[in-house]
Amino acid sequence: MLETVQLSKQFKGKTVVDEVDLYLDQGESVGLLGPNGAGKSTTISMISSLLKPTSGDVTLNQQSIIKNPAELRAVLGVVPQDIALYQELSAYENLKFFGRIYGVPKQQLESRIQETLEIVGIKERQQGLIKTFSGGMKRRVNIATALLHNPKILILDEPTVGIDPQSRHYILEMVRQLNQQGTTVLYTSHYMGEVEQLCDRVYIMDHGQVIAKGTKAELLSILSNEDTINVQLDRIDDEFLSSARAIDGVRKVEVSGNSIHIIAKQERQIVSQLVKISDQFDVQIKNFQMETPSLENVFLHLTGRTLRD
Amino acid sequence: MWAFLTKDLLLFWRDRKEVAVIILLPIVLVVLLSLVVPGMFGEETSESYDLDLALVVEDQQDQGFERFQEEVEPSNDQSQQMIDQLQAMPPVDGLVAYLNSPELAEWVTVNQMDLDQAQTQVDEGELDAALIIPEHYTYQLLNEMVLDEPSEATLQFQASGQSQEVDMLRQMIQRYLDQINLQYAVASSGSQVDSANDNLPEGGVENVEGQSMFSMEHYFTFSMAALFTLFLAATVATRTGIEKREQTFNRIALTNAPPLYYLMGKTISTFILAWLQMMFVLVGAHLILGVFTEEGPTFWVGLIVMATLYALAIAAISSIMTSTMLRVKNNDTGDGIFMAVVMVLGVIGGNFVPINVLPNWLQQIGELTPNGLILATLTEWVQDQTYSLLVMPTVILVAIIVTALSIGIAVYPKRGEQS
Ligand SMILES: Nc1ncnc2c1ncn2[C@@H]1O[C@H](COP(=O)(O)OP(=O)(O)O)[C@@H](O)[C@H]1O
Ligand SMILES: [Mg+2]
Repeated sequence: MLETVQLSKQFKGKTVVDEVDLYLDQGESVGLLGPNGAGKSTTISMISSLLKPTSGDVTLNQQSIIKNPAELRAVLGVVPQDIALYQELSAYENLKFFGRIYGVPKQQLESRIQETLEIVGIKERQQGLIKTFSGGMKRRVNIATALLHNPKILILDEPTVGIDPQSRHYILEMVRQLNQQGTTVLYTSHYMGEVEQLCDRVYIMDHGQVIAKGTKAELLSILSNEDTINVQLDRIDDEFLSSARAIDGVRKVEVSGNSIHIIAKQERQIVSQLVKISDQFDVQIKNFQMETPSLENVFLHLTGRTLRD
Repeated sequence: MWAFLTKDLLLFWRDRKEVAVIILLPIVLVVLLSLVVPGMFGEETSESYDLDLALVVEDQQDQGFERFQEEVEPSNDQSQQMIDQLQAMPPVDGLVAYLNSPELAEWVTVNQMDLDQAQTQVDEGELDAALIIPEHYTYQLLNEMVLDEPSEATLQFQASGQSQEVDMLRQMIQRYLDQINLQYAVASSGSQVDSANDNLPEGGVENVEGQSMFSMEHYFTFSMAALFTLFLAATVATRTGIEKREQTFNRIALTNAPPLYYLMGKTISTFILAWLQMMFVLVGAHLILGVFTEEGPTFWVGLIVMATLYALAIAAISSIMTSTMLRVKNNDTGDGIFMAVVMVLGVIGGNFVPINVLPNWLQQIGELTPNGLILATLTEWVQDQTYSLLVMPTVILVAIIVTALSIGIAVYPKRGEQS
């Protein structure tokens, strides 16, 4: 139902979103995954008609929404990355104001406010001023505000950044339920786990481009003949590293702190080779772990970087 | 739109301490300035106890005596005795001597001159007052005193402005004349000091043109009222900057609410606050300092109408600031620009120092700024309640309102254009 076609955005000649094609079918839950600065928020701004694309199009049921966004706005709820609320107003007052300008009918407004407060679980604190709320509670109101007009499509831009595990869990569960009740969801995050847990399909973005897409299974199959091995060492030795890279079958060796991540073809010899060179250069292996493949590994495989770089 | 307006008003209410400071600061300043800076501005007469008096003697004293002697046969010895006494110590000489006596010489400088000169200098404010002893004064005075005949013997006293000292001098001259009367045991009629401005309200401030006087309290009241509403406009724009930074503005842009409702909500709430602020200053200055105690309903009607138009003009200007704020990349840039604009408007509009210290060409521009215009208009209005005085300012203010609103709407970012 919602689709982007060769969507691009440049800021002062710098391409931030580069010919992105993605689509959302009704009832789906789709993840948009990528490190900070990948262009996720910019893409979402264009999809939600806040920002005009430099080129490309956004369509709702095959109708471009760039010139006529009204129809999309009526069915779209956007949870922005930042807390977009009046800090000096209470949760209730924020919801009332945004409900009114979202055009929620007067007779329904009060019950809608109470329903959404119920959904996000802050009904008891609705009279509190936003500025007095914790990060997690602010995030919940931020989401509630996007739900007031009962949107068919819900876009969430990193809704769990910087909050306590309990709120995070609550939010994920809530989004899952909304999706199960029929809301189409586009969920943006740089946390693999959330997207893996929540989404049917995933787009992986980096440097403004979609570098991989598909169901979780499809993406993981990219890794089907690869192993990821995490090795913690007592020290990092340059000769050890170059020998490790030279091992037959090793594709990439990443260093972070005293650990190395090795991506290699699935061959047994690699482990014995590693043990051999660690003896040779007097490097001690403190911890050794074969990873079960995850989207994190997919990203690492595709870009040679981890998502949190 | 109601939703936007109530939201803005509610936000102001939440921030009521800060908003109260902005709204009440001008009236506080007016009161303080009026207490602290009396005499720094306005009438030179109140600078110190130093009065410059023009003395115009049109009377020919000796001829007056001669003519009286020729025309009047003294009816009895008593009358002749009185004439002799008066001749020995003629009243006009006595008055002049009194004016130069040590009692007055401390604070009154007497400059004898002719009538034209005196009137010009009083008009121009070079001299504080003029005492005119008219032609035939002695003759008429003699008629009155000796023959007890009614006459028109009056001294004329003109002042360029009312002050404590001028009034004191007038009273002292009156007292001197009363003493002469007592001395000759004659009824006091005929030797009155006639103030040139009898047509003015009792005890009212006065100048030669017969208008109410414009005092420094008036200046402070009008200039602070005009200036701080400008600051208010800038404050509203700053708050828009916060909505931009905190992304609530983006959230509003995600709805199907007509974009201009946002701007209108801001503009109307600015108007309401600006109007309240004007009223607090004007009514506050009246209640606390009594600046308008002598003014009637006509004055208040004009004052409130002009203050309302001014508040509308300020709200319209704030719409330009709001729209600009939504367009500039950096909020601080916006704040900086607006503060600079307010300061420049404040200076050329004469809100910091009276406009007449500025060069002429700047004064003319200054009167086209809404704040300069309202200051000049109210300055005139407090002295002269002629409705025609308000026509031009009304036309200009309406023009400013329409132009500023159009610019504000034109600059307001279209969808997807805000930074
Ligand atoms: N208004 C803007 N002007 C210039 N550059 C921008 C603007 N908005 C975002 N960018 C740049 O675009 C890139 C992508 O940003 P963003 O879409 O926020 O990434 P993400 O949400 O994936 O972290 C970043 O490098 C950011 O600096
Ligand atoms: Mg982002």
